[in-house]
Amino acid sequence: MVERSFDVVIVGSGAGGGTVAKELAPLCREGVRIAVLEWGPKLKEEEFTGREAEMAEKLYFDNGGFLTRDRAMTLAFACAYGGSTVVYTGTSLPLPEEVLSRWGVPGLEHADLQRRSEKYLTENNVHLLDEDRINDNNRLFLEACRKLGYRVEQFPVNVKGCRGSGLCNLGCPNAAKQGTHRVQLPAAEAAGVEVITNCKVERIGGRECVVTVTNPPFGEPSLWPQGRYRIRTRAIVVAAGAVNSPALLLRSRLPVRLPALGRYFTAHPALILVGEHDRPITNFYGHPKSYYCDHFVESAKFLLETCMYFPFTTAKNLIGFGAEHAEMMARMDRMQMILVLAVDPALAENRVTVDSAGEPVVYYRFTDEVLDALVESQRVAARIFFAAGCRRVHAPAGTGFFIGADEAHRLEELINREAFKLGKVSISSAHLMGGCRMGTDPATSVTDAWGQVHGVPWLFVADASLFPMCSEINPYITIMALADRVAERVRMRLPELPAA
Amino acid sequence: MPPLSQRKWAFLMCVAGCIVPAAAVLDAEGRSRFIAIVGKALSDRPRSIQRQFGLFLGLMRWLALPRFGAPFDRLSPANQDVMLRWLLDAPLAKLRGGFWGLRALAFMGYSGQTEVWPSLRYTPSFNGNELLYG
Repeated sequence: MVERSFDVVIVGSGAGGGTVAKELAPLCREGVRIAVLEWGPKLKEEEFTGREAEMAEKLYFDNGGFLTRDRAMTLAFACAYGGSTVVYTGTSLPLPEEVLSRWGVPGLEHADLQRRSEKYLTENNVHLLDEDRINDNNRLFLEACRKLGYRVEQFPVNVKGCRGSGLCNLGCPNAAKQGTHRVQLPAAEAAGVEVITNCKVERIGGRECVVTVTNPPFGEPSLWPQGRYRIRTRAIVVAAGAVNSPALLLRSRLPVRLPALGRYFTAHPALILVGEHDRPITNFYGHPKSYYCDHFVESAKFLLETCMYFPFTTAKNLIGFGAEHAEMMARMDRMQMILVLAVDPALAENRVTVDSAGEPVVYYRFTDEVLDALVESQRVAARIFFAAGCRRVHAPAGTGFFIGADEAHRLEELINREAFKLGKVSISSAHLMGGCRMGTDPATSVTDAWGQVHGVPWLFVADASLFPMCSEINPYITIMALADRVAERVRMRLPELPAA
Repeated sequence: MPPLSQRKWAFLMCVAGCIVPAAAVLDAEGRSRFIAIVGKALSDRPRSIQRQFGLFLGLMRWLALPRFGAPFDRLSPANQDVMLRWLLDAPLAKLRGGFWGLRALAFMGYSGQTEVWPSLRYTPSFNGNELLYG
């Protein structure tokens, strides 16, 4: 095994790891050696082809369909230089103050998080798209929500030179999305941070970790030759995401007992809903996600967002098969789409564990409240579709495949819990949170409010696994703001930590 | 090597044709692309999942026997449809989940082919804004 040593090792290069890398990078000038270990590849620009099956394989864990233990939900999280910031739509919202109050983490103040969030809103070019850059799919949602009296807001997005490919979730083919792969990581590398791609961290033990570098048949080769390495370090920052961070810590030999590790996993379980217009609309050209409706977050625990997906993802999310399914799929140019996301509770039993091979296994139980929210959200989405002029809609909890506009007054009856069966419906999640939650009590949390693992001064966490509850909004800016805090704490603690 | 036996592939193609009618009439190239996409997706999954999927295909074939007196692939299209609708809403979550996985693979094998996108009226462009706004 090859031996290497660094002062700081960061596991993961997404919103959390990329941010920590960039924030610590100035230390390189003082001789501090920093490495980012990223499991995924760094794709070449020409490899962003927009082809769904190909990009899912190259950029996501399990092709974007990582299954929960009971197979009732798929989890989408990326495996790439830049992590999931390569594949999100760039929507960037700071955490609302009332959500932070609900989190109730002593020492985590709204003003501090807001200040740090604003830094990344600027750094990553977050702004509102001009009105003349909004396609029909988004405009119709906006107009329908207004018509129905639902509160609706525009998403700020982090794009620069967006050419409207609509392929955000497959990695922008025009290099427009300003994720950590475009902003923080290149800056960190320029300052001397080493980013080692295709590098899987097997385990952490003491102040060292064992990793394997294996180049896949695509992307840039890793900076390091293929093989196994033992890396000694003074500090480790784990930012591998809400599935892989807890899994890595669970399969590692840590000097403390962490009963909350892996627990309190939340996911904003989501459904993709489709309405059909009687004429083509513009939907897959232009930025896919411009508006959200948080009108029902307090009252019914769900959020609605515009979205536009690709043929396979869309086909999978329509419940059913055969002629009626094919009929709807043959009219993708007439589809209006809405993503509904449930605000799910943080339960100790919803957790990440590891199997005998150390691979992550996610247990997730849908509460009645979450299922009710997902059913009610379909009724609301159907109202929006009809208000937007759709001739018919498809609802996963519908008693039939289509609900026609002439049946719009019967939505309570036509969309119901009995028809909404787990295992039948495609429920997915791309907002994975918790598992290494912050807090003060080591019995119910894993880290303190600065991301330091309880009782382990050299070990930190800096990603969405820190969230003690779900964020109720798209999580990326919050991850970056928290990672900024973690970087500050690492910078402060580093002089006290013994050499590797 | 695709992770299913030839017999299982034939059965999978039969079911896929019921799920996505256009998959039943794919030409030889389209069929090869279907098998390549699904084969890759299966190969990327753990061996345990591959085994379970193979078992589910076998179970599905013979589940039709008590009700219709013949395995699934020998049923009339109407009875195949009845069988699949039963599986979609099956009383056991594991059966529903197995069928969900099968449906997903059928959709992936078909709509994962860029060649079929025009028939879905899906014609993406890297320069969508240009097409939208000139």
